[in-house]
Amino acid sequence: MNIKVRLFGLFRIDRFKEDIRSIPPGTSAQAVIDDLQLPATMLGIILINDIHAEASDLLSDGDCLTLLPLLDGG
Amino acid sequence: MKFHTTDPASNPSAVLYNRCTVDLQTGAISFADIPCRNLEDVLGGFGRSFQDLAQRTIKTAYCDENPLIVNTGLLTGSSAMTGMRTYFSGYSPIKGSKAGLPAAMWSTGSGKFGAKFKWTGLDELIFENCSATPVYILIKETPDGPMVEVKSATHLLGLSTHAKIMALQLEYPDAHFAAIGQAGENWQNNYMGGVALSTENQLKSKEDKCRFAGRGGMGSLMGHKNILALVAQSSDKHGKLSEAVKKVNLNVVKGGGSARIQPLSRGGGGGTWAAYDVLQAFHAVPLNNFRPQGNDLPEKLFRENVEKEYDIKSEACYRCGITCHNNISEKNIDGSKGEFLAKFDYEPLNLLGTNIGIHDAGQAARLIQLCDNYGMDAISLGVTISYALAYNERHPGKTILNGATFGDYAKIRELIIQTGEGKLPEIGKGSMRLSESLGETSYAYHVKGLEIAAYQPETNPGYAWAIAGGHMSMGTYGLLTREGKSDIDSWVKGITEDKLHIVGFDMIGLCKFFDIAKGIGTQMVVDCLKSEFDLDVSADAIRAAVRQAFLRGLALELRQGYTKAEFCLPAEVIENPNPHIKLPNITSPEFLAQLETQVWAIFEPELEGLLAPVLMR
Repeated sequence: MNIKVRLFGLFRIDRFKEDIRSIPPGTSAQAVIDDLQLPATMLGIILINDIHAEASDLLSDGDCLTLLPLLDGG
Repeated sequence: MKFHTTDPASNPSAVLYNRCTVDLQTGAISFADIPCRNLEDVLGGFGRSFQDLAQRTIKTAYCDENPLIVNTGLLTGSSAMTGMRTYFSGYSPIKGSKAGLPAAMWSTGSGKFGAKFKWTGLDELIFENCSATPVYILIKETPDGPMVEVKSATHLLGLSTHAKIMALQLEYPDAHFAAIGQAGENWQNNYMGGVALSTENQLKSKEDKCRFAGRGGMGSLMGHKNILALVAQSSDKHGKLSEAVKKVNLNVVKGGGSARIQPLSRGGGGGTWAAYDVLQAFHAVPLNNFRPQGNDLPEKLFRENVEKEYDIKSEACYRCGITCHNNISEKNIDGSKGEFLAKFDYEPLNLLGTNIGIHDAGQAARLIQLCDNYGMDAISLGVTISYALAYNERHPGKTILNGATFGDYAKIRELIIQTGEGKLPEIGKGSMRLSESLGETSYAYHVKGLEIAAYQPETNPGYAWAIAGGHMSMGTYGLLTREGKSDIDSWVKGITEDKLHIVGFDMIGLCKFFDIAKGIGTQMVVDCLKSEFDLDVSADAIRAAVRQAFLRGLALELRQGYTKAEFCLPAEVIENPNPHIKLPNITSPEFLAQLETQVWAIFEPELEGLLAPVLMR
């Protein structure tokens, strides 16, 4: 199945802004994060179809997975 | 401080702090070792100053009876990383209730002044009354203890924050400085004056790289007292770094707490600036007076776009390993670093950039630089200007001030200069007063009279309960965006339990990046207190003291005439919901009413007796 992955902030460095990826059914968001080798300490927000999600959540065909770095005060 | 106990939570009066009181009218200067009343006193900062402010009846900020309290936290000047905070407290000229009474306020900044101040042997300096002539205050370490002198400052009059510091450095090459700019000098027409704190980097490079205690007009209060600067002259005192503190510091640098703040080159997020990228994913970057349009305009100030044309250097406060500063300089034709412009933090960049329609990094940097040099709070200034620009956009045939509109760099620059020079009280007195004078208050983005930070109020109903400015005294700004919480229970818990603990950093002397998510009631702080002072304080006792200090702040607001109706968000948020923000709506009238009821039901019983009269010492 295919999903769209959107990256923001430093995650885009040497990666991409948006990509369509093929994954097997039953794949979790965590598996995609691992595959992209995103630094665990910097991962702040996971969205699936614009809704906050957990890394363990499973993805479905056509989902949009958005991965954002941490957000803390300025 | 003097410790005659190892258990300050149970025996606070066995801890004494050294206070100097300066009567600016008579010139009398007195010193006293003051026993602490409770753990809040021991920790310091606003935890102590608010107890003293509560003892005074102050009806207007600009009166002789309103003190300016300068103090530090227990860990200021210690080996604990980020321990560099100085606190300025008093009744605020800008933050006030509809009843017309000023709110108690504190403001804080890093730089090296705080440590130098502490190393003189002084813990607190209280200024009473006003000086008839401009003065600066010399705080000096001597073999007999700290010495304080009041000195003429006529030669500093009219200088910018940076120029004052440079002038004083010539006289005191081994000292550090806190200075106001022209804004604070023109306190009658400028209620948003801040205090600039010198940094090692600034004194070495001679570039205007100050840190700021900006919020609440403490620089204007300092100007009202006719104090233009403070000089702290002492030798550096670095104790031997213990294994315990070394471990804590390593955790601060490498741990999760500061990860986002570290430079990109170290695998971090690149400072607070990175909030742009995250918030833009939700179309929640404030634009044109907090009305995001669902477009990509904010991306023009993304780091990746700015670094194409400007030099960006990651730098740090003195002895801090977090390296959160992103200093922007011009880039020469050959690619080398040119003139230093400004430090890009999320708040000033947004509020003097995207939120006023400025999308050019160089222009935004120049406006930040102007704001810093005049010594104004970038948040209050930016938000009041954005209100004026929004007014002009709504009334094209009947504009105010110079008719500036969003994105008009030249006219906005002119507004900042005039405000800094005290010639534009409409802006200088803040958005609450300006909007009331124009009869259009719904799109003035302040809460309780203090302009909000660069987080959309649609994402943060917790602003209403912040006691000293929107985001740094109530850490709920990420509860929806970061944590995805949109249910009432999470918000009630966030406001009344977890997120108020952010104010603990404004007691103990540490920067919030020490561990922004967890606060100061942690084993890391417990270990530092044991190692630095041989104090046995539990994390629970620290958390209890922080909660008590927060609640006292809330009680003080109510005593200064705030009604519960004033604990509210800007009306536009509710009256005209922004359809572009891609997050659940948690600012409907129903949600806010429920939140208000439940939050007060928890807080109100705890406020009883918090402001009981305490004998003056």
